[in-house]
Amino acid sequence: MHWTGDMRMWQGNTRKVLALLLALAVAVSMFGLVGCGDDDADTEDTDTTSTEGTTETIKIGVATSLTGGLADYGFAAAEALKIAAVDFSGFEIDGVTYEIELIIKDDKGEPAEAPVVAQQLLDEGVVAVIGCLTSGNTKASLPIYQAAGIPLISGSATRPDLTELDFENFFRTCLRDDLQGAAIGEWAVELGSEKVVVMDDRGDYSVALADEVIKTLDAAGVEVSREEGQEGDVDFSAQVNNIKAFAPDTVIFTGYHREAGLLFKQLVEAGVEAQFMGGDGIKSNDIGDEAGGAENVEGALCTFGGFAQENMPGYTAFADAFMAATGKEAGPYAENNYDALGAVVAAMQLAGSTEGADIIDALHEVEYDGVQGALTFDSIGDVAVPGGGGTELIPRFEYKSGVWEFIE
Amino acid sequence: MAVLDRMNSMFRRAPRWTYIALALAFALIFPVLEQYGVIETLWLRLGTRTLVYVLLAVGLNLVLGETGLLHLGYVAFFAVGAYTTASLSSPRLGYHWNFWVIIALAMLLSMLFGFFIGLPTLRLRGDYLAIVTLAFGEITRITFNNWESVTNGPGGIPGIYAPNLFGWVVDKPGEFFYLLLAAVIVVVWLLNNIKTSRIGRAWNALREDEIASHHSGVRPLQAKLLAVVLSSGVAGLAGAIFAYYQQFINPTYFLFMQSTIVVCMVVLGGMGSIPGAVIGAVVLDTTPELIRQLFTKWLPDAVGADFLPGVQTALQQDFDRYRMLIFGLAIVLMVIFRPEGLLPNKLWRREVHEDDPRDQANTRQHMFDAEKGAQDLEA
Repeated sequence: MHWTGDMRMWQGNTRKVLALLLALAVAVSMFGLVGCGDDDADTEDTDTTSTEGTTETIKIGVATSLTGGLADYGFAAAEALKIAAVDFSGFEIDGVTYEIELIIKDDKGEPAEAPVVAQQLLDEGVVAVIGCLTSGNTKASLPIYQAAGIPLISGSATRPDLTELDFENFFRTCLRDDLQGAAIGEWAVELGSEKVVVMDDRGDYSVALADEVIKTLDAAGVEVSREEGQEGDVDFSAQVNNIKAFAPDTVIFTGYHREAGLLFKQLVEAGVEAQFMGGDGIKSNDIGDEAGGAENVEGALCTFGGFAQENMPGYTAFADAFMAATGKEAGPYAENNYDALGAVVAAMQLAGSTEGADIIDALHEVEYDGVQGALTFDSIGDVAVPGGGGTELIPRFEYKSGVWEFIE
Repeated sequence: MAVLDRMNSMFRRAPRWTYIALALAFALIFPVLEQYGVIETLWLRLGTRTLVYVLLAVGLNLVLGETGLLHLGYVAFFAVGAYTTASLSSPRLGYHWNFWVIIALAMLLSMLFGFFIGLPTLRLRGDYLAIVTLAFGEITRITFNNWESVTNGPGGIPGIYAPNLFGWVVDKPGEFFYLLLAAVIVVVWLLNNIKTSRIGRAWNALREDEIASHHSGVRPLQAKLLAVVLSSGVAGLAGAIFAYYQQFINPTYFLFMQSTIVVCMVVLGGMGSIPGAVIGAVVLDTTPELIRQLFTKWLPDAVGADFLPGVQTALQQDFDRYRMLIFGLAIVLMVIFRPEGLLPNKLWRREVHEDDPRDQANTRQHMFDAEKGAQDLEA
């Protein structure tokens, strides 16, 4: 009896050991394969039987945020790109007609999701990607696109350092935040401000903008005091006290309109008499309600990060097309996304190729006539406008009885 | 749900190691499937991220499942680990430290952090502990957001160098998969040993009744502190490898939502069960992607673009937008029909289903009856 019991235990253990060994053996053999496997996945359909009159479909990826806090921006981007895909389909290279197929993927606005979406688009075999919506997601997915040699063109990632990270495959059709920051600073100097408070909300966009405003003000010799809040704050009494003690003639808030409204209201209530200013984050007509009455914001000034609608040659036609397709007003950065696809198509035509590497090279050379005007990209991938892309491009607005009015 | 129940009883009947060996074998050949083009690279990249969540869920299970402390700031320790890597292995501060040093330092720092946060807060119980840990989680994120000289604030730290393990440069998703798998195996093995040790039983006793366990010789603060410190170390490890894998981090990776998701993984997987935490992490992290693939690819490929008759075609093409809705619905259904989690441990299962006939044999009343019957027989 005794030995059978032992036997059974021995058998059980053997099985355990065998199973583990098997798993290990499989792993080790495969490990070698993974190690020396070549990345020869990209040698797909290169059947260059480009006879006259054939039609081919190329895939363009779209990585944007259709869910999450920025879904309205993502919706505007996706819809604008759908319009663009129809408009640009049917272009010709060497007698071959190309149809554009958009692969739109949602990255939830979360940077951890961005690489997964990037991989998905690469698996689909896209030749170029429009996106990402936010600067954070752009940074998180750029290394993957770079390794695959695929260009990434964003219509809304405005953070200045994006084009300074040595990614030769990144381009954008929107203006950088530092241009807007400089424009706000210059405007404040023009108004004759001598003591300025610059306040941000510690957000990605807001801090970069505030840094640039301060740089400009410092250069002009203006006395600056910096304050900060958190996005989502409702009580700014600590900052208001500091601001009151500093007695500025101008208060610049670089965050969003909800906090701006509350801040301006609390400043007015504390008896601070200063010129209120901000960036495109406060350019919402809701700010009057958020400030507890339009009179608290009356006379406030703001800028916008894109070209003025009034100065964009193709904007009216584009806005009409957007309205016809979706029944909604063209949302923020919609036209930038439209132009991003247009620039890619123009680059493909210039290069005479639909290979990612060729498109990247051609994007540096291409001159594309889009909704925003004639666009080119400089050596690091920022959009450049003929005649110099200076701060004079930045449109200015003043808040008058409940609406932001464009200042010529 | 009956299917799940049956699977669960099958799981309990069959020897455990067969399932562990199967899961392990599957994980081991997973990257190879990608190599041969059986699965797309997407799944490998997703699987690698899932393994990070597996580490987090297994680590939180120690605090939430084993010791019964509702910890809502777990992502803070993940952030400490990630920022350790990002600061010491990127052009941001100009350091390029060794992988092993960084891993050790990341774990040590997050354990220290866990200790100093645990010391004052663990005297609190229940809801109060939840509130305080939540606040600490947010404070940590805001600190990283504001500590611009080191973390570059909201702009984050890009360009994190690939780790070098004795000459093996890990920079492909498949390689990270194996690296993380090794970490998961080591951590699960260690935690499983601790779980069945004296201290593990002390944790369970604390979870069931703190006062009674205190009077039976368990030192509550000491035991809880050990649980928090160990789980913080696991989160630090996960964060350090995650930062290497992402090559970029910024504070938005560490929002309160992330803590919540990890809590969901532990609860949905089955509190106090390591296989449960693993399954919970795998299911919660991959389901949104599976739903997306189902509606944007598999269904259209199999049935055609009009896979939901009666629904607008445009809506069907936009399914990407609705996947989180379906995901939420699936979780709600799951909580209603299987509150004890996917792979619960026995104790927790019995607590949720007090009158489960299958466990009748183990209830106190039954044992009492049997004892009495035996006594009667003797008499």
